[in-house]
Amino acid sequence: MNTGLNRTKWEPYVWLLPSILLIAIFVIFPILIVFKLSFSEISKAGVIGGFVGFDNYVEAVRLPAFKTVMLNTLWWVLSVVILSTVLGFIIALVLNQQFHGRKIARSILVFPWATSLVIQASVWNYIIKAEYGNLNNVLLNLGIIQQAINWRSSYQIEFVWECWVGIFVTVPFVTFCVLSGLQSIDGSLYEAATMDGAGFWSKLRNITLPMVRPSLTVSTVLNIIYVFNSFPIVYTMTKGAPAHKTDTMITYLYMLSFYERRKGPATALSVIGFLILCICAGIYMVSVMRKEEEL
Amino acid sequence: MKKLFALFLIVALMLCMVPAAFAADDEITLDVIICQYGPNTNDWFLGKGMDGSNFVEKFEAANPGIKLNLDVVSWNDVYTEVDTRIANDNAPDILNIDVFANYANEGLLMPVKDYCPEDLFGDFFPSFIDQSVIDDTVWAVPDLASARALFYNVDIFDEIGEEVPTTWAELQDVSQAILDYYDGEIYPWGIDMTTDEGQAAFAYYTWGNGGGFVDENGDWAVNSAENVEAIEYAISLVNDGYTNPNPATQTRYDLQDMFAAGKLAMVIAPNQLPTYVADKGGEINMATAGLPANEGKTSSSVGVMDRVMAFKDDSAPDQAARNEAIGKFLKFFYDPENYVGWVSMEGFLPAVNSAVEALVAADPTFEAWLDVLGGCQFYPAAKAEWDQVKQGVIAAEQNALTGADVQAELDALQAELTK
Amino acid sequence: MSYPEVRQQNRRMLLLLIIGLVLTLFLMSLPLYSFDVGVYTKKSANTFVGDEKYQEARAEVEAVAEDYRAQGFDVEILEDVLERVNSKGKTTSLITFTVTERYNKNMFSFLGKGLPSSTALAAMLALMAIAAVSVAAGLVGTDDVLQRYLDRKTRWLRGLAIAALVLALILVPVFILMNNVTFSRQLSLYNAELITDGKDALFAKLDNFFFDGKMGDGIGDVLGALKIRHSPMVWVLIPALFISLVAALSLKNGEIRSGLLRGALYVFVVIVCVVTLYPYYVMTITAFRSNAETLDMYFLHLAPTRWVWSNLSDIVQRGVPRYLLNSIFVAGGATALAMLCGIPAAYAMARMNFKGKKAFLGFVIMSQMFSPVVLLIGISQLMNTMHLNNTLWGLMLINAAFNQAFAIWLLRGTFVSISSEMEQAAMIDGCGTVRALTKVLIPMAAPGIVTALIFVFINAWNEYTIATVLISTAQNRPITVGITQFSSFNMIEWQYMFAASLLATIPVVILFMSIEKHLTAGLTSGGVKG
Repeated sequence: MNTGLNRTKWEPYVWLLPSILLIAIFVIFPILIVFKLSFSEISKAGVIGGFVGFDNYVEAVRLPAFKTVMLNTLWWVLSVVILSTVLGFIIALVLNQQFHGRKIARSILVFPWATSLVIQASVWNYIIKAEYGNLNNVLLNLGIIQQAINWRSSYQIEFVWECWVGIFVTVPFVTFCVLSGLQSIDGSLYEAATMDGAGFWSKLRNITLPMVRPSLTVSTVLNIIYVFNSFPIVYTMTKGAPAHKTDTMITYLYMLSFYERRKGPATALSVIGFLILCICAGIYMVSVMRKEEEL
Repeated sequence: MKKLFALFLIVALMLCMVPAAFAADDEITLDVIICQYGPNTNDWFLGKGMDGSNFVEKFEAANPGIKLNLDVVSWNDVYTEVDTRIANDNAPDILNIDVFANYANEGLLMPVKDYCPEDLFGDFFPSFIDQSVIDDTVWAVPDLASARALFYNVDIFDEIGEEVPTTWAELQDVSQAILDYYDGEIYPWGIDMTTDEGQAAFAYYTWGNGGGFVDENGDWAVNSAENVEAIEYAISLVNDGYTNPNPATQTRYDLQDMFAAGKLAMVIAPNQLPTYVADKGGEINMATAGLPANEGKTSSSVGVMDRVMAFKDDSAPDQAARNEAIGKFLKFFYDPENYVGWVSMEGFLPAVNSAVEALVAADPTFEAWLDVLGGCQFYPAAKAEWDQVKQGVIAAEQNALTGADVQAELDALQAELTK
Repeated sequence: MSYPEVRQQNRRMLLLLIIGLVLTLFLMSLPLYSFDVGVYTKKSANTFVGDEKYQEARAEVEAVAEDYRAQGFDVEILEDVLERVNSKGKTTSLITFTVTERYNKNMFSFLGKGLPSSTALAAMLALMAIAAVSVAAGLVGTDDVLQRYLDRKTRWLRGLAIAALVLALILVPVFILMNNVTFSRQLSLYNAELITDGKDALFAKLDNFFFDGKMGDGIGDVLGALKIRHSPMVWVLIPALFISLVAALSLKNGEIRSGLLRGALYVFVVIVCVVTLYPYYVMTITAFRSNAETLDMYFLHLAPTRWVWSNLSDIVQRGVPRYLLNSIFVAGGATALAMLCGIPAAYAMARMNFKGKKAFLGFVIMSQMFSPVVLLIGISQLMNTMHLNNTLWGLMLINAAFNQAFAIWLLRGTFVSISSEMEQAAMIDGCGTVRALTKVLIPMAAPGIVTALIFVFINAWNEYTIATVLISTAQNRPITVGITQFSSFNMIEWQYMFAASLLATIPVVILFMSIEKHLTAGLTSGGVKG
């Protein structure tokens, strides 16, 4: 890919510099502070004290809810990322077809993405209320159900609702990533394949998937990170109730920090989360990039 | 091309150097954080809610040389904002919030006597001031209070011909009667064990059974036999279907809404409930009663109080002038001319004597509420572990809702507290 | 396809279309709705189906029913079993027998009765008529020609037919919904006297519907015991109309297979859109309700009874326009900055080889791995030192920085997929690198750039956590923080919250619609793909 035209050795770095500056100052610096904090004593009110070694980490791992929260986080990330990637991919394939009203359909699909997560979570919270929620309203009036249903009768079901909202807001992102990837496919490739007698599935596997793989990689890696770090949905809908059984790691450490005021372990927990993400995203990236290079 | 990047760099640097505040030397700026109580709080302090003007404008006009940098913050975010600012050595000068013990214990607050004018200090209800004392020092002053009582829907009770329950056993009977009569369409009893306010439920039931957060010596005693019995009773109400179905996530808002729509027969709520119901267009014929207690025990109403406190700021050039400015802020805030309007707008109960007369004149029901307030118990918020206890009892309740053993849950919490 | 084949196929499809429409009309003429009016009720407590007490009660009710039948009424016996487990673990049961007179109605009897569902039904029939007429008009003399050879007018007519059929399809559930609201929810509430507004008007219409207005004042008693039941066959209207839709779509090239695929595609898109818009429908109806009506405890309203437009002016009063402007400034600035920094970086990543390329990629992705919630303390410390606390500039820089990763990644991917030949050609022609980038590469990479742009803008627009902590005066609040003032200690003002949220969604959607065409424009602009 390198054009190699009259480039000096330092030129690439000049191109990177603004970006590096921006990230280093406004993102990396706060990250370093979090690392420092995770080894410091932090008082209940938030006053930062001296170095305490790994005390915060030990305390974090010993928290009674640690295991539940980790499992929840795993389910949350897996279900939301996988389902929204599959759904988003299918919708993108459909929206890439020519049909009347496509522009309207695409614009409608932007809606969930264009609304902040706090509001999305509030609306869904409002919709599934047993006493006056709109879901019961519509289903009752359609004659599908005869009595108002309590849509959140157990915490497992509430967690499923949280995952649903997560999927609902993540699908548009995947869809538009894939759509932008689909645009770069030359139509003649399909025509040639059709001439060779390739069916729908074979075209999907041999042309579409390889061509959108870079977009899918970006959206999947970023989704893993964003979904893992997603805070407002769980916080707005249940606040982790009952007793952290619906908490994910990020809401749990928020509750730990600002409700229970155990800021030390909360900070340690955030670094642990960071390391987990680094490992997961790292493995995924390395494996995908290797494939990309093979192509 | 180099030029372009030089330009990038310059722009980036310039953006970084846009200076924020230029305060004149002889001016004092006070950072104030106020919590958002009602829909009009923001408008009153910052908009046009105070006779076309607002608190900040009026204060600055009356006190030249003092500028207010006042923010109204929602309850959901206020702890985050305050803690973050403290961690950065950037605490507000004046803070309005519910808790104070941690800030006082860590030496962040100034004693009230350092800045509060004598005459104003004498104006606060003494029993309220007592709630903000640690080691014989007053660290915060009350800004308002609310009292909780049992509200019930009179029409429902007339319809089924039952009396309002005063004991736990009666409560169960009445609930069953309501359930039967209305075919389960109406929830007899409202219960809120959410992460927001589950500690209130703990207080309602344990205080009604002679228990509570602390023993008679003021030491933590969350796992007393009375407490276990009380929480088991509360959980049994949920399991018998006498309550709203999802106590762990149905907040006070939900309960108020259901009550306003006539879907809930009884609920323990703060004194603002009638105003709220009227706003919601509910035409509920309601009355209040004492909280039901266990057989042979007396019920005690629950009071909730919020506070105003001032943080130390060692970097201030003139400490005396700063203290005086804080004092002026308090004077102006508690001046009946301003304070009465605010308290009645928010629908709370006042914390100073000078406001009582005007408030009673405006609303006769106030007097009854002030009486209730006189006999209220408050949370042990002056104890350092209060945050932990609060979250601990909420977690215990929520675990019990999913089937855990109450005794074991509370034992574990107590063990952690006495560790 | 040859001329006779096309003709034959198109004729078949036309026949299918007519079959679909006729089937629909036939279904509509069946007595799909039945209304039961109770004339006699017996309740029997502690009775279980089949036991002795049950037999007794049943016999008694049968006798009563016989009486009515003898008098010439068409009556039926309904049985309603209510079982419940009480707190002592014992099962109790209550059986209610009702002798009812039954009125059977087909869908046409709803026409012109002034009921809400009458309008929906009329619209449905009109749309079907439009579809039929436009297909007929479009096909006369052209049924032997493939779609692509048709003139514009004919094509337009066929498009109209398809649109009309899709709309008619959507109206089926709407019709069912409206009927249930009127006959089941609303009526039961009027009868229980839980609501009174509009009772007389509705009762007059129902009198007209059932008895041609002859019942007069007695209607209240009849309606007091009315029960609606619809046959599940109502739902068959949907597949029936779908047949017509597929046929209309197949008229394009005469192949049923592609028509079926097209039809499925439309149905899929409609379902996706309905699900997506559902929360917005809820937001809209709540945003324009009065405070009192935001709690619809009786599941009565699918729309506000009175549209309270003053909710909008209320939120304007309470500062929402200012918050929107702040958000536009922050999100717009952050997007511009993120692109200014991100495009060169992505360009370098895609086109140049240098040491530390992978390290930079890792650095970029690592910058995303902490949630802003966790970084609050660090960010706020940074803003303090830079004197950017409580400024929109600070917020803008943070948002730009937090969105670098996505911008660089997506842009790199787009640049890589575009051949570098054209830039090289441009450079050989004497363009500098910067010119080659701006004049050649950026226009070709439009889809990727637009995606990145929208993404960064939306993320910055929706950022909430950092803004709450950084911004401490009202005039600097972005909209996400501004909305929180509608949820306070005492109450949540749902109507204001949702009205403000809707307003906050509009700018993003407008932005999207105005640049959406670039999402697809990339390919046509030249020989892409290497």
